[in-house]
Amino acid sequence: MEHGGKRGKVSPHDRHAGPRPERQPNLRNTEKMEVKGKKKKKDIDELKKEVVMDDHKLTLEELSTKYSVSLTQGHSPEKAKEILIRDGHNTLTPPKTTPEWIKFCKQLFTGFSLLLWIGSILCFVAYSIQVYFHEKTAKDNLYLGIVLAVVVGITGCFSYYQEAKSSKIMESFKNMVPQQALVIRGGKKMQIDVQDVVVGDLVEVKAGDRIPADLRLISAQGCKVDNSSLTGESEPQSRSPDFTHENPLETKNICFFSTNCVEGTARGVVIATGDYTVMGRIASLASGLKTGKTPIGVEIEHFIHLITGVAVFLGVTFFVLSLVLGYGWLEAVIFLIGIIVANVPEGLLATVTVCLTLTAKRMARKNCLVKNLEAVETLGSTSTICSDKTGTLTQNRMTVAHLWFDGTVHNADTSEEYTVQSQRRQEKRETTGDASESALLKFVEQSFSSVKEMREKNPKVAEIPFNSTNKYQLSIHCSEDSSQGHMLLMKGAPERILEFCSTFLLHGQEFPMDDEMKNAFQDAYSELGGLGERVLGFCFLKLPSSFPAGFPFNTDEINFPMSNLCFVGLISMIDPPRAAVPSAVSKCRSAGIKVIMVTGDHPITAKAIAKGVGIISEGTETAEDISARLGIPVSQVNPRSAKAIVVHGLELKDMNSEQLKEILQNHTEIVFARTSPQQKLIIVEGCQKLGAIVAVTGDGVNDSPALKKADIGIAMGITGSDVSKQAADMILLDDNFASIVTGVEEGRLIFDNLKKSIAYTLTSNIPEITPFLLFIILGIPLPLGTITILCIDLGTDMIPAISLAYETPESDIMQRHPRNPKTDNLVNHRLIGMAYGQIGMIQAVAGFFTYFVVMAENGFKPLDLLGIRLNWDNHFLNNLEDSYGQQWTYEQRKVVEFTCQTAFFVSIVVVQWADLLICKTRRNSFFTQGMKNKILIFGLLEETLLAIFLSYTPGMDIALRMYPLR
Amino acid sequence: MLSKVTSCPALSLLSSCSLSWLPGLILLFYLVFYGFLAALFSFTMWVMLQTLNDEVPKYRDQIPSPGLMVFPKPVTALEYTFSVSDPRSYEGYIKDLKNFLKSYSLEEQKNLTNCTDGVLFVQKGPDYAACQFPNFLLEACSGTDDPHFGYSQGQPCVLVKMNRIIGLKPEGSPRIDCISKDENTAIVSMYPNRGIIDLKYFPYYGKKRHVGYLQPLVAVQVSFASNSTKKEVTVECKIEGSKNLRNEDDRDKFLGRVAFKITARA
Repeated sequence: MEHGGKRGKVSPHDRHAGPRPERQPNLRNTEKMEVKGKKKKKDIDELKKEVVMDDHKLTLEELSTKYSVSLTQGHSPEKAKEILIRDGHNTLTPPKTTPEWIKFCKQLFTGFSLLLWIGSILCFVAYSIQVYFHEKTAKDNLYLGIVLAVVVGITGCFSYYQEAKSSKIMESFKNMVPQQALVIRGGKKMQIDVQDVVVGDLVEVKAGDRIPADLRLISAQGCKVDNSSLTGESEPQSRSPDFTHENPLETKNICFFSTNCVEGTARGVVIATGDYTVMGRIASLASGLKTGKTPIGVEIEHFIHLITGVAVFLGVTFFVLSLVLGYGWLEAVIFLIGIIVANVPEGLLATVTVCLTLTAKRMARKNCLVKNLEAVETLGSTSTICSDKTGTLTQNRMTVAHLWFDGTVHNADTSEEYTVQSQRRQEKRETTGDASESALLKFVEQSFSSVKEMREKNPKVAEIPFNSTNKYQLSIHCSEDSSQGHMLLMKGAPERILEFCSTFLLHGQEFPMDDEMKNAFQDAYSELGGLGERVLGFCFLKLPSSFPAGFPFNTDEINFPMSNLCFVGLISMIDPPRAAVPSAVSKCRSAGIKVIMVTGDHPITAKAIAKGVGIISEGTETAEDISARLGIPVSQVNPRSAKAIVVHGLELKDMNSEQLKEILQNHTEIVFARTSPQQKLIIVEGCQKLGAIVAVTGDGVNDSPALKKADIGIAMGITGSDVSKQAADMILLDDNFASIVTGVEEGRLIFDNLKKSIAYTLTSNIPEITPFLLFIILGIPLPLGTITILCIDLGTDMIPAISLAYETPESDIMQRHPRNPKTDNLVNHRLIGMAYGQIGMIQAVAGFFTYFVVMAENGFKPLDLLGIRLNWDNHFLNNLEDSYGQQWTYEQRKVVEFTCQTAFFVSIVVVQWADLLICKTRRNSFFTQGMKNKILIFGLLEETLLAIFLSYTPGMDIALRMYPLR
Repeated sequence: MLSKVTSCPALSLLSSCSLSWLPGLILLFYLVFYGFLAALFSFTMWVMLQTLNDEVPKYRDQIPSPGLMVFPKPVTALEYTFSVSDPRSYEGYIKDLKNFLKSYSLEEQKNLTNCTDGVLFVQKGPDYAACQFPNFLLEACSGTDDPHFGYSQGQPCVLVKMNRIIGLKPEGSPRIDCISKDENTAIVSMYPNRGIIDLKYFPYYGKKRHVGYLQPLVAVQVSFASNSTKKEVTVECKIEGSKNLRNEDDRDKFLGRVAFKITARA
């Protein structure tokens, strides 16, 4: 609406210069964005800085010169085309998607799989050595190598399939509708695809449009935009061509790409497109961030180190021992490889994957969609949740919260069912407009009667719309019965409204305004305002009969009375917290999780909501509260005595990391208000530096860098923006914050249960390795062969181990503190000690006993077995004498050997029954926990039946060399 | 483990509570634990051994039918290689044979029973007698006439034995039948005649009861034809003439049969 609109054409010289050369320094020097990310690291650091631009400070002439565009005619179509070719489309570069085959390979070659691959390769090496030096060798190593490879392959495919399924659901979120924008080119208005909008284009937006690019407004009529996805402000912000604030995010003359215009119309010059927009910068900041390993990934790595340590230690020890015992180098190497490979728990990878998948499915059923399988556990270890306010903790829906009339404050129903219901009704009527207006409308509709009817009965004859100078809105209606004449209604900023009033309404009767009333009003106003609510005052006046029906009311030159109105009361509105949030927050609290609010909204609102949902709990005070209570200045309050703190984004800007650390450490209840996306990121990093495992919840684009950086980012499925969903690891499909509690619970449970599964699986490693060790040292026939080991690891142990994932929690896991990622490991020395040193040893003893019994009963007494190995395994020695003088051919004694191995196998199965019951509980006694886990019972039965099947099925002697037992 | 941790009076003050005793205690625990395990294992093994019969193994169904084996055992696989002109190349075989046949000499068998030919020698105990197997039954391969067992003449002797199995009672009239794979290169002679194994050596009653038991032997002498240049032959032996002694098993190549190769260089 300024002079710029009338400005003529730009000089040809300017045109030829083109906007690009001028824009580049703008980009390079002020926004400091490296276009082609050669130095990616540096790039990210640049992106982390606050948005710097100066377009909002320019006058319209300067603007016109800068972009060499006419502010009335716009670009010529040719020029626009030129710029389009130069700058590219106005779209966000989608985050680099990793090709499917790389994702697949990642599944195949990371973490645990790598261990199995190494094992597999070692097996092949051992086999080749054997083949090279001996013609006739057992193919055990070959089979083992193949089986290991197959196991990794299948598990890899499985987890790839799982994650592919999740990402498919993700893709369905993508909004494919092409957006249109209204631009002025060559003086003509035209509808074009948003992606064809170029820098310098003149764009017109109206209510309901999505802003097609970053705009510097040149004119506006009652324009309001919803910036909530960018700044977190739940209230629509008015927009005008005036430069009002240094900060480009706060100034009124800039509209941002992909925010929505909710009211009015505006015209502006495009100052940035695609990735160069503020939104684009945030999106590319998010996609450029490197995320660390998931906690469970770290745990698995730790576990692999432990296992490898044990394997190498055993391997080398017995390598040396076998050399001392007089075995050849080659044999010793084969033994070394054999022992190392035997330490690899073949079935564990599959078990862990299946356990995680089961939990992921269970969580999906509870509306938590997990994108990355390993993220399933992350919530369980989370010690800090940084939550966005708008749309996450709150409904992002202005709602009437309180009414003040008749001298008392009345509560309005702000529960979610209520608001959703009214929303639906409102949607049916298809009303759009200011959030406060619709809140009032909803409220009336819900609590009294149909607004439509009322409007029909009381037709509006005149209106003064709201504007920021008046700060009130006035309308005059015909009364229900026409005899009554007209009714003047007014609403607006309470203090303005009060000025108009001389009487007030109490219990249906008018009383003259007095000081008592004014004080009561002040108290109520500040009380409601202190709750972070937006307060409106209401008053009315019955116009005297001198204004009959049909009186021409003139709102420009007021021809009706506007004083001595009757004050009715106040209505305050807020974006109310979601119903489930307070209980969820308190549950997180009791689970030892610190909940921090990080919002772009104003401190008062943020604090009010934080108090409402319990992030600042009842009774805790901020330094400001204490100073207000004690009547001393804030600076004198001992910061230690204030547990809660509200930090403003501006304060945060001037803080160094030490100060931030101090805040995070010393306060239990923290609210960050007016934070920029970059600051959210810094806060998350600050928490992580303190060793916390951080979950971030958010729905807006402004949250996405923090979502990405967090150990687990949680996005909202319904209201969340696409960018946030892409950056997140988990998506709450029903937008219910309480699902996070479920996630924490499931995460902790799966951590506990994985511990159990791993303990169970690892235990049988000892009775699997010791036979080979004693085979080497004592020279006894091999008590347990490769095939039987595989039958245990991939057969009988599998389902029981998985069944432990179904174990119900012991005691209340939500009363526990989150685990300390440094000390409370998935697999620690104690677990290994118990599994290997204690239970494993008992199992081994049991197995060996069985072995010796079978041998002895068939004629080979234990003492005669010692050192028999070389003769026993000699193919050409066919008259080996047993303890009774009988002579055995090679095949005959091998049958005995394999019978022994079957017996050993069965005895492991039997001791694993007990082990399963041992591993079932970690803290509780078995009797407290009970046998309610049906899958576990099934696992026991399956294990037993499989063992029986393997042992007694005819043909197994040929297929797997397993023999029936007596 | 747990009890030890909780034995520290203030669990919550673990850091203030000296942990220096903990590794020692863990070590002690493992010592006691493994000691107990070892004791348990030894005890159960001892009990198990008590339940065993010293004379007969509990199960004998894993060896229902005997295998065949040759003697002396060649160095590599089942291939006899020697050179007629070089006594050192067959020295080992001769030594083994002499040692082995020592117990078959007449003097050694003085105390043994002279059993009835052709019938099973079933005994009721408690003392079990062993039947004589005079080495002259092996005729040319007995080592009495030719101390070199034919090796020096290029006509080597190899003994074929049937594995001992407690309680085995062969049916019919078992004999070991050996054939030369290549009749042109070498012919095979058997001692005793036709490789008969007398039933009187069965059943066997086990090492403990049947002291002095002599396993019946069959000697195979391979005579290379003088005109053949290639002095290499594979001999296959099988138990024949008895229904319950199996000699065809897909997997076990030594059940009731044996094949060996003899290479005689000049």
